[in-house]
Parts: sequence; structure tokens; C-alpha cells
Amino acid sequence: MKKQLPLILGFVAGLLAFVERYVPAAPMRSMQSFLLNAAMVLAAAAFILGAVNVIQVNAPIIARRREDWPYKVVLVASALIMFLAGIKWDRLGGAPRPPAVTAAAGDTSIEVVADRDDALVWFAPAPLVRPVAPGTYTVTVRALRAGYAETQATVDVKPGQRVTVRAWLPMLWGPTGRVFTWLYDHVFAPSNATMFALLAFFIASAAFRAFRARNAEAALLLGAAILIMVGRVPLGRALSPAFPAIADWIVDIPNNAGRRAIMMGAALGAIATSLRVILGLERSHLGRDA
Amino acid sequence: MSGPAGAGGPVPPGVPPTGGRRGLAAALTPDPAGGPVGVPPTGGRRGLAAALTIDRRWLFLAMGLAIVVPLVVPLGLPTEASAPVKANFYAVEDLPEGATVLVSVDLDPASTPEVEPYFHASVRHLKKRGAKLVFVTLWYQAPPLVDRWIAKTVEQATFPGDRPYKRNVDYVWLGFREGKQAVMANMGQDLWATFAGHAADGTALADIPMMAGVHRLSDFALLVLVSAGFPGAKEYVQQVQARYGLRIVAACTAVSTTDLSPYYASGQLLGLAGGMGATAEYEVLVSRLVGLDPKRGNGAMALDALNIGHVVVILAIVLGNVAYFVGRRKR
Repeated sequence: MKKQLPLILGFVAGLLAFVERYVPAAPMRSMQSFLLNAAMVLAAAAFILGAVNVIQVNAPIIARRREDWPYKVVLVASALIMFLAGIKWDRLGGAPRPPAVTAAAGDTSIEVVADRDDALVWFAPAPLVRPVAPGTYTVTVRALRAGYAETQATVDVKPGQRVTVRAWLPMLWGPTGRVFTWLYDHVFAPSNATMFALLAFFIASAAFRAFRARNAEAALLLGAAILIMVGRVPLGRALSPAFPAIADWIVDIPNNAGRRAIMMGAALGAIATSLRVILGLERSHLGRDA
Repeated sequence: MSGPAGAGGPVPPGVPPTGGRRGLAAALTPDPAGGPVGVPPTGGRRGLAAALTIDRRWLFLAMGLAIVVPLVVPLGLPTEASAPVKANFYAVEDLPEGATVLVSVDLDPASTPEVEPYFHASVRHLKKRGAKLVFVTLWYQAPPLVDRWIAKTVEQATFPGDRPYKRNVDYVWLGFREGKQAVMANMGQDLWATFAGHAADGTALADIPMMAGVHRLSDFALLVLVSAGFPGAKEYVQQVQARYGLRIVAACTAVSTTDLSPYYASGQLLGLAGGMGATAEYEVLVSRLVGLDPKRGNGAMALDALNIGHVVVILAIVLGNVAYFVGRRKR
């Protein structure tokens, strides 16, 4: 049963996904929808497996002080910090505090008091008016920095009345929270961009060292690459309108022909592999024992 | 050839400088750390081959200057849109007034220089057409970027005659879903179920009037894909375009352009802006349309860096090959 059940599941799921395409009946569609939802849940659950795997792989290396163990500490600590920062801790204490609106005698105006110095205030429907004409206004208060709560109140201002909106903008947690946003902006994004930016220098170095016309094929590739590079920037167009035309021709004709051949070959291979999985002929995905 | 600057007297031919590796002379000799990047000359250090044995740090410096200097001192070369970019532009122009459009933002911070200008330009263009916008992403790295881009371009008036869009009134941000192609296929069948019936801020989709007629991908007048890799535009075409006959335009990174080009040629993508150059072209078209200065856009300003960067790469290729052939003849 250990072998048969996964094979039966694979056969049924694969067959349903295949048949649904050709049978437009409502039950088939809902079955397919169920399978797709299950796939999304499994994909999300794979993150948990991934986290467990990261710890399983790296913890022994750290414990035994093997080669590069400090990097493993950084990896595990970073993952843990991002995990903790991604939890909406502020929601554990209940709903965010709504703004308090009080009215008192005075000039006809709206006063906004926030618990942060950098709070930004929007009045709607009118532009920022202080004092205001009698009427109903929506006041939105948000912090200048990302990661703090935004709050909104609708106030009714009567003649001779000063309405005070007292807003609390607590720090948020979770994916839109301050800590997560700060780590994203100041650690993840610069690191990610830096890695990609290094490509420019790597390409320059590789172009000099490795991109050689050693034979006719390499020379052809080299010529095509140069023409594409020149033809794809305004400088090439400024030099001659022939460059963009040549670049377009290379992309549209030889490139597309080659790409189509590769894509169709890959698609045929995917169909063949899928059929083998559905029919239980391909079992490598089930492990060594299958 | 003189010795290293500041290191004293001249260095005899064939003897690598032993002092600091400062100056052009040091740069034209092999790098002990990483080795020479040119062809090692077999004889003395005289001759073209030796002169072309350049320390890679000079290449890095040249590339750094090629990128930084044009950003400070713009060249302002004229930009003309290519056919796929014009097709993209007219696909948006053909939208009926007030149409609902899905914008899928599938990218990470590394790809923003290439595709961010396209995002802002296409949002401006769609706002100009009065379109209602629905944003999604299939990349876990993207939500913080999408949040701030929405705040910057969607919720603000950014061109004459523009107005700020209101969340859950004029636009909806559905957020991120893990599952890659499964999410695409699911959105094709039931968009609401894919996002559990809620927008990213927790508002029920049933409470958002603009979502009333939008239940699956085929209900959108157009899909705008800001795509930096996998999963992205290619997977959208494979999973849902042909099946539901969707109208799609896409922007992608330069390396993905050749992948997506066959889909543009077959009409499965109505328009394609591939790489920084093409996204800048689109930005210029939209800027002219909405009354902004075309030269002030981020894409247009980055084009100069791209121009000079390409020149450096081409020169590196040419120099490398000259060194290679000269060295081979000597051997």
C-alpha cells in the first residue's frame, strides 16, 4: 500500500486535470478547483518543510563547528529574525485602538492630535482646511514611515465647535510592520540589488576574458551579441537606423526559430514525462524504494 | 613601461611590479590574486599583447564610471519606441474607458531598475484611461515594493489631470499567494477563491463594488504583467492565455526577452517591453501622452547608463579578441 497509494493518487489527480480540459461540466471544474487549491496549500506548506530542512542541515554543522559554520549561524539567525518579524504580534492584543473624537465649544475647526511627531494628516473631501466650514469630514492620520498603523475618523463639525481627533499610531508587526519593513528596506533589498548589480562588472570582465572568436560558431555568436547590444540602445539608433533593424531581425527570425524548437521539444518531453507519471511508469519522484 | 606610480624607478621588462599595484603600469600586468584577464604574453612585456593584458580592476572602474557618470551628467540621446513597445502602448490605448485591468507584479528588488519604470508608466497610462486596477503578485519578495509603489503612483496624482485612486474603490490590492502556476490556473477559474475572498487589507471582495463583475481572469479587459522571471509572463501565457483567450501585455528583464519574443510574434502577448531600454521607451511614450517631461523619468535617465555600459562591454570584447589574436600569432 505504501507504493500503491501514491501511484493511485497520482493517477487520479493527473487524469482529472487532463480530462477537465476537455469536459466542460461544472463538477469537473469544481474538482479541478479543489486540486488547484490543494496544490497552493501544499506549496505554502513546503515553506514549513523548507524551514525544518534548513535547521536539520545547518544545526549539526554549527554544533560541530564544521567549515563555514559562522555563515550557517548567520543563515539560521536571519531566517529566525525574519520569521519573528513576520508575525503580527500587535494583533494578539485585539483590534487597533480607534481614534477618539471629542467636540467642545470654540472656533469652527478640526484639531488633530497624534501620538507621533511625524504624523501626516489628510482631510477629505476638502483639502487641508483649518479652520473648516461646518460639515462632515473624513480625517486620515498616518505616520510618515511605513510600518505604523493608519487611522481614520469621520467627524461632523457644527458651527462654533472645535472637534478634536486624538489618533494613536502604534507600531505594526507582520509583513507590513515596522521591523519587517526596516529589515526589507535596509538588509534584504540592498543585498539583493547589490548581488544583481555585480553582474555588470562580471559581464565586463567576462567579455574581456572569455568572449573570444575561437572558431566560426563563436565568431557568429560574438557578432550577433554585439549587434543586439548596439541595436537595443539609443546609441545604436543614433549611429545608424540599420542597427535596431538588424537586432530586431536577429531576435525575430533566428532567435524565435530556435526558441520555438526548444519550447516545443521541452513541451513534448513534459507531456511524455507526465504520461509516465500518470500511468505509474515513472516512479523516481516517490523515492528509492518505489 | 614605467613602474608602479609612487613605487620608485622603472621596472625592467618581464619583471612584475613587486610594490603596490597602483597606477596604469601595475594594472597592465598580471593580477596575482585573480590572474591576468588578457592573454599572458609568452615573450617580453613589450608589444600589443602585453599592453592588452589588463588588470580586471580597470575594467571594473570603467564599468563603474560608465554607469555612474551618465546618471550625473545625462547625455539625453533621443529615444524611439520599438514595435513591441508601441504594440504594448496601443493595447492599453484600445481599452474601453473604465475597464478593469489586472496588474501582476512579479519581481524582486534586484530587477527594479529594469521594470519599475514600466510599472509606474503603465499605471499612469491605465489611470489616464480611467481603468480600475487589481494588483496581485506571485513573488514573496514583491509585496513591500508593491505597497509603496501603489502609495507612490496609484494613490497619488502624478500627472496633470490625474486623481488619487482610492483603495477598494478604484483599485484593489489582493496581495501574494504561493503556488506559482497553480495560482495562475486557479485565478483563471476563480479569482475570489484563490485569494480566499479577501483583499490584502482583509476587506471582503464581496464588499468591494468594483469586484462585482470580476470573478476570473477572463473578466479582465487586459492583463499587465510586470515580470522579472519565474513565475512570470511565460507561465501566464502557458497556463491561462491560450485557454481563456486573455489579452496580455508584459514587461520583462532583458535576459527574458528572447524567451518571450516567440509569444509576442504569435500574438499571445499583445505587447512586450523587454529590458531597461524598452521599459524606458514605454515610459517616454506615456510621459508624452500624460504631459510629463519624457527626459525626467527614471527609465529615460537610466538609458544613458545602459548606453555607455554597453559601449564598455563591446570595447572589452573587442580588446579581448585583439589580445587573443595577437597573442595567438606570437605563439
